[in-house]
Amino acid sequence: MQFISYSFVILWMLAFALYYLFPKKMQWYVLLTVSLLFYIIGLKGFPIGLLLTGVTTYGCGLYLKEKLEEEKEKLQQCADKETKKALKTEFQKKRKRVQILYIAFNLGLLVFYKYVVVALPLVERLTGTYAGFLEKVMMPLGISFYTLTAISYVVDAGRENCAVETNFLKVVLFLAYFPSVTQGPFNRFAPMKEQFEKEHEFQYDRMLRGIQRFIWGAFKKLVIADRLGIFVDRVYGVEPSAVPGSIFACATVFYMLQLYADFSGYIDMAAGVSETFDIMLPDNFKRPYFSKSVAEFWRRWHITLGTWFKDYVMFSFVMSGTGRKISKACKNKWNGMGKQVAPIIGTMLVWFFTGIWHGRTVSYMLWGVYYGVIMSISLVLEPSYAVWKEKLHIRDGKIWTFVRMARTWLIVFVADVLIRSGSMAQAGAIYASFLTRLDVRCLLSREITSYGISKYEFVLLFAVLLIWLMVSVLEERGEDVRTYLSHRPVIVRWVCYYGIVLLLLITGIYGGSYDTAVFMYQSF
Amino acid sequence: MEEKILEILEEHCEEAIDYDGESMMEDGIIDSFTVINLISDLEDEFDIEIDAKYVVAENFKNKEAIIALVQKLVEE
Repeated sequence: MQFISYSFVILWMLAFALYYLFPKKMQWYVLLTVSLLFYIIGLKGFPIGLLLTGVTTYGCGLYLKEKLEEEKEKLQQCADKETKKALKTEFQKKRKRVQILYIAFNLGLLVFYKYVVVALPLVERLTGTYAGFLEKVMMPLGISFYTLTAISYVVDAGRENCAVETNFLKVVLFLAYFPSVTQGPFNRFAPMKEQFEKEHEFQYDRMLRGIQRFIWGAFKKLVIADRLGIFVDRVYGVEPSAVPGSIFACATVFYMLQLYADFSGYIDMAAGVSETFDIMLPDNFKRPYFSKSVAEFWRRWHITLGTWFKDYVMFSFVMSGTGRKISKACKNKWNGMGKQVAPIIGTMLVWFFTGIWHGRTVSYMLWGVYYGVIMSISLVLEPSYAVWKEKLHIRDGKIWTFVRMARTWLIVFVADVLIRSGSMAQAGAIYASFLTRLDVRCLLSREITSYGISKYEFVLLFAVLLIWLMVSVLEERGEDVRTYLSHRPVIVRWVCYYGIVLLLLITGIYGGSYDTAVFMYQSF
Repeated sequence: MEEKILEILEEHCEEAIDYDGESMMEDGIIDSFTVINLISDLEDEFDIEIDAKYVVAENFKNKEAIIALVQKLVEE
């Protein structure tokens, strides 16, 4: 069951009605039941993985709570500063040991499931049995998402940055909350718990806003992403030597937009569904393609994944004993640049893990290392930026902003060729085609329409991209587009609403040979 | 102490001194590298250890929050 299906809409409507009819203190039970139904029956997800993560997360939380209380009690009975310090260290070690075990177990599960799928065709070949069955039955959907979400809870509980949950079912709801279980965003426990436990009154405006966001997400997915996807798939499906570089360049730009429309479309739909239940999900995108640097791009793209890695990998490493030792040893070396050694190692770790989190192939690993290297270089060069700007007489302004945005696009463009290509060899051939067979005239010839998108489809595509750009510009100026529209004259408002719905119904890519149901990030 | 903290903060991020928004980290005024280098200098100056558990947006939302965090750790 995907978001874009009749069965999901029916489930959503039933859940919505029950939610507001239920006694307010028990509304979260409705969310829990719907989440489990959606996961087990709707998605046919294998619940054992989720259950294992749920049980260990709950158990680890309780252990941390007990040890933290014990520590506080002992500290109160102790007056001497040195003894207090020793006690704190002892308890910290105890907690850390259990947390490491917990993380190893859950990451082990994640690695097992992610890599067992790779091994299944081999099993099939060796034994002759249909291993695809195992893949379908055993693959716990959303494991990449709920595992990281669960780890964030356990680390936050250990750091006393969130209260420990004593109700097992609430931990399960946190992990399996149906709008975000398969593709995020990565929720944090404290704000989610507060919202789950709140008493929610029905509000017509809020319901409308949720539905509007859901429809806008579906529009981005079906009208924009899936249409771009047809072209991208066709071009990338052809032997690189048969296609001019300019067509590959166009397909890669389309892929950049497709990935953004697809994933942010999903997030809009998830957030819209959640908003109707008065549960607000964290922001995951803030118009990344307006970024003036790669660092800014990654602060605006998949925000909750970025903050997860920053909080639990980057800061954990730099503030750890090893990180501090490195910082101390290098601090005064290389004209003061030595202080950047620990952050650079942290950055490389973050990007290596981000790469392997996204995919199992060498391309994804390289993709992560590529971003890590770029971030590290910019960190080292940052102090000299102002000097070079002055020397080259560069003034801040629209032109300089445009140049910086174009540079960001170019860096992302290069990276996206790597992950969209089927192999490293294909990626290499495509890079070579940019340099040796660009042939820009092809973009204006008939050839461009021979990859699944007709001349009229291109016109439609540019029109919907323009709508998306206008909405993004408004948001970039700090406008909430839904509020902005609600203050327009009724005729303008309804023309916009009906226009989007009609475009969605008439021009959305439904069914056929192209699988609209699957979102791109679902495979991560 | 307050003056010294502000001096260190200004060295790392001038914008942070006049910032009056909701969260410097979330608004991109200070990024993770700035936070790490700022922490390193604060630790050296005040002989404190800022654990990873304190590195949350709330403790770095503005200059007042940073001052409060350092004061708390010095007193501990």
